[in-house]
Amino acid sequence: MSPFNLTRRCFLALGPLLGAKTHEPMPGFPTFKPRAKRVIYLFQSGGPSQMDLFDYKPKMKDVAGSELPDSIRRGQRLTGMSATQSSFPCVPTKFKFTRHGQSGAELSELLPNIASIADDLTFIKSMHTQAINHDPAVTFFQTGAQIAGRPSIGSWLVYGLGADTDNLPGFVVMISPGQGGGGQPLYDRLWGSGFLPTRFQGVKFRSVGDPVLYLNNPPGFSSENRRTYLDALGAINRAKLDEYGDPEIATRIAQYEMAFRMQTSVPELTDLSQEPASTFALYGEDARKPGTYAANCLLARRLAERGVRFIQLFHRDWDHHGGLPKGLPARCNETDRASAALVTDLKRRGLLEDTLVIWGGEFGRTVYCQGRLTATDYGRDHHPRCFTIWMAGGGIKPGVTYGSTDDYSYNVAEDPVDVHDLHATILHCLGVDHTRLTFKYQGRHFRLTDVHGRVIKPLLA
Amino acid sequence: MRLSRLLPCLAAAPAVWAQNIEFNRDVRPVLSDRCFTCHGPDPGNRKTALRFDTEAGAAPSIVPGDPERSKLYQRIASTNRALRMPPASMGHDALKPGEIRIIRDWIQQGARWQAHWSLIPPKRPDARNIDELIHARLTRSGLEPSPEAPRHVLIRRLSLDLTGLPPTPAEVDAFVSDRAPEAYERVVDRLLASPRHAERMAIRWLEAARYADTNGYQSDGVRTMWPWRDWVIRAFQNNLPFDRFTIEQLAGDLLPGATLDQRIATAFHRNHRTSAEGGIVDEEFRVEYVADRAETTATVWLGLTMGCARCHDHKYDPVTQRDFYRMFAFFNNVPEKGFVYNFGNEPPFIAAPDAHQAAKLKELDDNAGAAGSAWDSRQQAVRKAQAKWEKGLRPGPSVDWRPQEGLLLREELEDPSFDGKRSISFGDEKAKFNHRDPLTLTVRVNARSPKGAILTRAEDYWEGTGYGIYLVEGKIRFHFVYRWTDLGMRVETRDPLPLNAWHDVTVTYDGSMLAAGTRIYVDGKEWPLKVLFDQHVWPINQKAPLRIGAGGGLGFDGQVSEAGIYNRALSPDEVRALTVRRTLNEIARTSPASRSAADTAKLRLAFVDAHLPADLAGLRRQARDAQAARDKFHASLPTVMVMEERRDPRPSYILKRGAYDAPGEPVQAGVPSALPQLPSDARADRLALARWVVSRENPLTARVAVNRYWQMLFGAGLVRTVEDFGSQGDWPVHQDVLDWLATEFMDSGWNVRHILKTIVMSRTYRQSSKVAPELLQRDPENRLLARAPRLRLPAEMIRDQALAVSGLLVGTVGGPPVRPYQPPGLWQELTGGGGYKADDGEGLYRRSLYTYWRRTIAPPSMITFDSPTRENCIVRETRTNTPLQALNLMNDVTYVEAARKLAERILRAGGDPGQGFRFVLGRDPSPAERDAFATALSAFRGRYQTDAKGAEALISQGASKPDPRWNASELAAYTAAASLLLNLDETVTKE
Repeated sequence: MSPFNLTRRCFLALGPLLGAKTHEPMPGFPTFKPRAKRVIYLFQSGGPSQMDLFDYKPKMKDVAGSELPDSIRRGQRLTGMSATQSSFPCVPTKFKFTRHGQSGAELSELLPNIASIADDLTFIKSMHTQAINHDPAVTFFQTGAQIAGRPSIGSWLVYGLGADTDNLPGFVVMISPGQGGGGQPLYDRLWGSGFLPTRFQGVKFRSVGDPVLYLNNPPGFSSENRRTYLDALGAINRAKLDEYGDPEIATRIAQYEMAFRMQTSVPELTDLSQEPASTFALYGEDARKPGTYAANCLLARRLAERGVRFIQLFHRDWDHHGGLPKGLPARCNETDRASAALVTDLKRRGLLEDTLVIWGGEFGRTVYCQGRLTATDYGRDHHPRCFTIWMAGGGIKPGVTYGSTDDYSYNVAEDPVDVHDLHATILHCLGVDHTRLTFKYQGRHFRLTDVHGRVIKPLLA
Repeated sequence: MRLSRLLPCLAAAPAVWAQNIEFNRDVRPVLSDRCFTCHGPDPGNRKTALRFDTEAGAAPSIVPGDPERSKLYQRIASTNRALRMPPASMGHDALKPGEIRIIRDWIQQGARWQAHWSLIPPKRPDARNIDELIHARLTRSGLEPSPEAPRHVLIRRLSLDLTGLPPTPAEVDAFVSDRAPEAYERVVDRLLASPRHAERMAIRWLEAARYADTNGYQSDGVRTMWPWRDWVIRAFQNNLPFDRFTIEQLAGDLLPGATLDQRIATAFHRNHRTSAEGGIVDEEFRVEYVADRAETTATVWLGLTMGCARCHDHKYDPVTQRDFYRMFAFFNNVPEKGFVYNFGNEPPFIAAPDAHQAAKLKELDDNAGAAGSAWDSRQQAVRKAQAKWEKGLRPGPSVDWRPQEGLLLREELEDPSFDGKRSISFGDEKAKFNHRDPLTLTVRVNARSPKGAILTRAEDYWEGTGYGIYLVEGKIRFHFVYRWTDLGMRVETRDPLPLNAWHDVTVTYDGSMLAAGTRIYVDGKEWPLKVLFDQHVWPINQKAPLRIGAGGGLGFDGQVSEAGIYNRALSPDEVRALTVRRTLNEIARTSPASRSAADTAKLRLAFVDAHLPADLAGLRRQARDAQAARDKFHASLPTVMVMEERRDPRPSYILKRGAYDAPGEPVQAGVPSALPQLPSDARADRLALARWVVSRENPLTARVAVNRYWQMLFGAGLVRTVEDFGSQGDWPVHQDVLDWLATEFMDSGWNVRHILKTIVMSRTYRQSSKVAPELLQRDPENRLLARAPRLRLPAEMIRDQALAVSGLLVGTVGGPPVRPYQPPGLWQELTGGGGYKADDGEGLYRRSLYTYWRRTIAPPSMITFDSPTRENCIVRETRTNTPLQALNLMNDVTYVEAARKLAERILRAGGDPGQGFRFVLGRDPSPAERDAFATALSAFRGRYQTDAKGAEALISQGASKPDPRWNASELAAYTAAASLLLNLDETVTKE
């Protein structure tokens, strides 16, 4: 599609805007019948350790403390943080693993709640990426390119599919800090629209101040005043529309009315007071505290109910270069229950069928220790060559483990899945052929998957 | 235009265009878009010899005049899926019927080929002005230009376009009532000469230059580049010709006798993002910076999407991968790193004083020079006095001396023995050096074992945090480590320290963050060093105590009898003097000829330090103080990162698949092969490139530049893809206008103001922007220019206008960035670190051009209104229309405060609603508008009269105080109504 096709006038011409949806789909989209209508992406920022959570390597106990063999490392590049390390001792996980459910998924004791719904989930143990540092790695997952500048996946989907809501944005982002002190920074561009028009960018819902920037009327300005105000504004703008015939004016009138509706719909969305006690029994009491991961998971469900297309949570502080035995349980404690609760809640409400849930970070962690290895403490560096994510719901076959890694959880042993493949598969679940969702910029038809990506068929229901 | 690709609403467009097929306008876009990927410039992708980017390559498939016999037509029109091109088997769609028709008609009409239009140098069309060309085109399409816009609309349009600010009511009145024929031109001249004009021009250039106040990427540390931003403003203020503007920014440092300003100008290519994320691979990011420069240069000046050729030959345009890396090579020779400093500017950078500071610096330089010469000129007297003093020392009582300045610790150990287990601690408080602190550590040592910790402040394991002097394999090591693996500095001596003998070992570090700023002396002699690690760029939180005989997990086996620590790097003479254990008297008693250099140094230093006669001591103090004052001032000056060339050129290679670690064939710097080449006698450096960019032979630069000016005034370029003049770019409906302006631009000596004036003086620019339904249908995108555009204002203009009409705007030009209002918590929620703190004075009300731009969390209201993020070069203007913009304008304290100040202004003028319209829009309201406004005002008034608290709350928004002349409910009602004015469609629109 040419950017010219998206000019304001055409946008208007595509449908009567007054009272229309926030975003209309592109003509021809979805390209085939979707299995999922929306995505909830639980992004675990920092890089959770796959071998302490999902990818159990019992043989590591036998080689604990010994050097990572060259036959495994194969001279691959390391981050600048461990490249100058003189030794690379293997560290087995110190956490217990057991099998769960019919599917027999093997999971760490740190994830009891996720373990309890293992049969609803699909684990991809053979994820891999090209980036070894946070910024390029998160950017890659978000945009399909390591260097910033391309649209985020949520922007792509709202651009292609629009959203089924008339009073909320199509792409919503929520952030929770790890209680360990924050972790790696995030940046607004991770949910930016790149070269797509800015109206496709993710809107950050915040837990302090206005939930959406500038949502609330100024102090002392009543909702009644706002109605009066918009009536007068609309009258003057309509007169201008009659005089100038510029359809952009009609759009502006409509957007002010939409803003007004958001002033009601967003507080109604974030007001959890009507949620029954059973909700908090499921998500945990943390869900009552604005800004926690649990509260964001609950909001994610409420956004899904309201037709938002792409809902993305970021939980920070999974970057355990050191002190992993303390830090990792803390992050799991913050996220395990609510992640499982969200899947369970969606399932009970019949929403899991057409909601695709994804849990994962930007890379995994090394089998070898970074920093000082002691009897009780270890750290792990970034590891792009293999890590685990899980998916559930819309279009994904439950109770499956896909792909595997070698005995050191260092290289993919079978069925590799790269970031473009994951993107292609997500788009497929939403009824979008990833090669057809394109936007012309700088003379090129760009797409989320660039010139790569294949749908991983065995994952599909 | 790829007509058939357009949505139905644009399908009417071709009706206004000529019926004759033109290759460049109609055919090339189809071939480029649908065929070039496999039959185009990239040989790596070419499936057969057939290629449609050259006439010869396409010839075998075309029979001019006979589409049915032409393979090209047969294949694209085939209904047989197996034969049809592009191949269905590869997932390509068939050409649309309209596209097929274009190809057929073109072949039918003789298949006349044209070279790509933008690569042919522009020729001046035969016309006196651009109106003639545009009107001729309109006539051909059966259209007429719109009438001239009313005067109040014109002056608002002009003021916003040329200065970014609306006219004052007085300026509107003056123009409306000035019936002189040159009235309009007078306004144009006045606006172009205004400093506001320079600021307005600067902001678009800042976006193209990806200017920001932070580095970007993950750590997003601060940088100081605003002296370059002020250079840009000055350049526009002085109407610096565009060719010089170009040369100075691309290569000012290489100009003979480059001035400070010309060097500051080169900061253009240091504005790209840089990374300080722990653990990155240095070269990977350095390559990224160089590629950014090449791509940005191509976009900004040449309108070429060269980035496409970074990994492979361009799929659409005649730009090869080799071309890309030849361009890359021009920018690959900066002495720079990929991993940059996170807390300020990364070398190379220079002090960038403003005129006032430069004058003061000169004065301090002169003072220091004069005081220095005064002291130098008395050296004979000093020598005489010293000789006399030495004579007095011979019989005298014992006097000794060692450097005292900056001495933090001096220990003479009663028991010097260390057995590997014993250590002495001096606690946590002393010598807490950070990465930028200069220092000297000195010990007298007699080692038994070749491995050990001598003097340290380091954690108790080898890779821990801290600094220290160690022995490793007998060699002397100095470590200053934050994080062993990637942050810190480690050096060692080339030679081992002889064991079982006493030695003076001294380490000095000058605080430069470089291993090169470190020296190790043994017995007063500097030893050659080997740099083991050199990334000393992060602040250190010292965790361990200062100790002798322990640190880094080591002990010490041997003796240490003395230790000293200074908070400065001692000079070589001082270090030498430290090794002399004879007292001053003892040295004085020896004959000068028999003294060692160290003896001589010690005597001399001691004398000037402590024994000069009063007059000479005064001179020395003055010289030192003047130098210190100068150095202190110089260190306080803002710096700016600039371009420089390495002395030994860094070789460039074609990087396979664009990967930093896959160098292929070496390349020399050079310009794209499809364009005119550099003069054969020119050395291929940035200066040659810069001169080539603005040479008369270059077919692109002038067109690309005037096209951006057109975009600035009309909202879209004559070539709408302002960043892409290649075959995938937009074909200009008015190429003749573009070429007329491009040649005029060059002929005028690249006079920017002349071109802007030429455009705004045209009848085309002065048309009304009202659009009749019929015209809207026939030319919805206004490509033919039968009317003026009606456009939402850019982000910065919306805010600046609100500040201006409310009277809040502070007009100071230039200086450090300012921090206006921002919702609390935005920074913390993403980074956890320190929060944003808004300014409390004028910084709240400066033009948006000066707003502190943190790349990873850009000012939210600018982004909401479509500002580029400054992550990379963006030259295309975009406008969207969203509910978030409505919320922003209604509820952001910026606009609520502005509304209150505007309300006060209206009240001061008598309170008539018409005043509000005049202040904001420069016109009177219609009766209907006046009614709507008055009705709302009276409803607000009614409510606020019974809601004192609400009224008080509303008028208290913002840092400025409400005018006590008005009672709260009245002011609140007017504030609400004034906010309405700021939110009108017309207010945020240029008509």
